[in-house]
Amino acid sequence: MTFHVALRVTEILLALAFIQQSVEHLRRPTDSQLIFLLRIACSLAVFFGLQTTWGLCGLCIISLAMLHRFDGPYNGGSDRMSLLVLWCLFLAQILPSGPLQEAALGYLAIQLVLSYFVSGWVKLVNPEWRTGRALRDVFAFSAYPVSESLRVLANRPTLTRVMSWAVMIFEVLFPISLVSQPVLIVALCVGAVFHLANACLFGLNRFLWIWLAAYPSILWFQSHLGELLS
Amino acid sequence: MVRVLMLLLPGLIPSWKFFKTIEPSPRVQWRLSSGPDHTENTWQEFRPRPERVSGAEIVKRLFWNPDWNEALFLVSLAERLTLHATPRSAQEILRRIKNELLSGQLSDHSVNYLQFRLVFLHREGEEIVEEVTYLSQFFDMSEEAA
Repeated sequence: MTFHVALRVTEILLALAFIQQSVEHLRRPTDSQLIFLLRIACSLAVFFGLQTTWGLCGLCIISLAMLHRFDGPYNGGSDRMSLLVLWCLFLAQILPSGPLQEAALGYLAIQLVLSYFVSGWVKLVNPEWRTGRALRDVFAFSAYPVSESLRVLANRPTLTRVMSWAVMIFEVLFPISLVSQPVLIVALCVGAVFHLANACLFGLNRFLWIWLAAYPSILWFQSHLGELLS
Repeated sequence: MVRVLMLLLPGLIPSWKFFKTIEPSPRVQWRLSSGPDHTENTWQEFRPRPERVSGAEIVKRLFWNPDWNEALFLVSLAERLTLHATPRSAQEILRRIKNELLSGQLSDHSVNYLQFRLVFLHREGEEIVEEVTYLSQFFDMSEEAA
């Protein structure tokens, strides 16, 4: 994937993710609806490629207004990835073409790798994750399961241990997928399924769309890395 | 402005330590009373999760999930309120409970004083233990409705 294709696809996916998030906020009378109407307008500009730089600039300003309004991120990790993708894209637009632009998108790709690796590593070094106890606790009493019926999974120790190890192995080994494009594509498909499962079991739909938006950056980064190494 | 930039930094340099440990998990509970000295009503969980969610509903929620995402924000607010008891987090939680009460989405009550509390669940050995970490003052709902 070329740099410009990766940049454009990321812009489109980010715009779609932001529209989805913002439309949800319009339903809440307690949220500042003007902020989200403006966010939709800027996202549409980015989606259609109309004044993309100004659209991204507007989204960056709105991201600060949202941090002020909610006194931090609204949805923890998914908002953090949203900020990262947005600011990297904005920098890639305004920086002079060449290595600086590539550094901005490359930073996003490296952070995507770290998002899996660090998350997997902190679980792997925790005995409660290795035994499956931590995932049993997630199902037993955390606020995440979308229905009470899912809490019975807390009583399935073998299943939760297998699920825990599957997640840890995928996350920790993810950086190895950079060795080749086909391996990376398989890893990204597994990642997408992982986020889909989180969306279904724990209602984390925003994670799914915003992590997918970061995927083109790593597809470009992997091919660029290959060129640099050869 | 400095504070907003400090809030932006964890987004630009994230830690990515998702679920490093399973922390105590908050629930927001509320009750209505006829006065600050009358606490006759039992606590009710705000936005309790349903017993089951259908496959079609799960697919819909991939694209349209405002209630659940707000519930996740309430979890963040509850954690912030417990760590640093700021009026802002309490107001955000209160505003959401009031809105649902005033819009009639919650049970109809003839009593007007609203109070909420935060209950954190955690595991001790094999037991799931509840601990109340925050109890709000009473708020007069009739002033809001007027």
